[in-house]
Amino acid sequence: MKQGPNKTLGLRPCSWVYLFLMSFTVVTFLIGQLGLSGLDVALGVLLLALIKGQLVGAYFMGLGSLRGFWRWPVFIWLFVPGILIGTAFCLAA
Amino acid sequence: MPAITALPEQANRYPPGDLAIWIFILAELLVFALFFAAYAFTRMQHVALFNEYQQQLDRRAALINTLALITSSYFVVRAVAAIREGLSHYCVRWLLAALSMGALFLAVKSVEYAHHFGQGINLSTNDFYMFYLSLTFFHFMHVIMGMVILAAVAWKAYRGGYSATEHTGVETGASYWHMVDLVWLILFPLVYVMR
Repeated sequence: MKQGPNKTLGLRPCSWVYLFLMSFTVVTFLIGQLGLSGLDVALGVLLLALIKGQLVGAYFMGLGSLRGFWRWPVFIWLFVPGILIGTAFCLAA
Repeated sequence: MPAITALPEQANRYPPGDLAIWIFILAELLVFALFFAAYAFTRMQHVALFNEYQQQLDRRAALINTLALITSSYFVVRAVAAIREGLSHYCVRWLLAALSMGALFLAVKSVEYAHHFGQGINLSTNDFYMFYLSLTFFHFMHVIMGMVILAAVAWKAYRGGYSATEHTGVETGASYWHMVDLVWLILFPLVYVMR
């Protein structure tokens, strides 16, 4: 069957993003279940969460294909709290 | 003078859905961002307490809830894609599937709350539970709100109220639901995993 131009290996981009989000979530859960802790682990988990957030903003919310102001609010929303949370964890370590 | 070139067709300047919902979404995101920052900086002063009580949370329930919300968000993406192709009946089915995932989230979270309240845990138990209960309940209310919006959109779609050319309502509801998902994607690792 001929595939549309917006599909890779038969999957829509949003389906790939969905699979990535599910995988990253399981990785995050396993980190918690294994009892891994410490600054490096916490910052790694935070980074994973920010990447997931950016994927949702860009692909699910449809902001990734925009130009101008509306492309950035979700990215900024992830970036600023991400920096604040990361700073707080660094100071607590 | 350089020639004025047209923007690519897909590169729009405005997000999908009604612009008003995006103002609302940004306001909601700002509130959650303040909540997250407050949690992190309060934890800084009580690291041992936060780490101890975080271990008492049901991380498996949180995993189920995270997977449920991500799946529901994906279903909503498919609902929007369906209505853009004029497939109202598929749009309704995807929305109902998303609603079922939202219901699963509410059920699992309710069981968690029942467990906590059964143990006598409340907002004044300690700083950790104050943040945990307020943050998650605030989000819980947003899930309910999102489900009401999705149900209204599904009902209108079922009645033939949307088409391939006019489906702003579907995109508006979808945007709100993705915001609910987005917030939980930060809340889950912050409250349940990071220590």
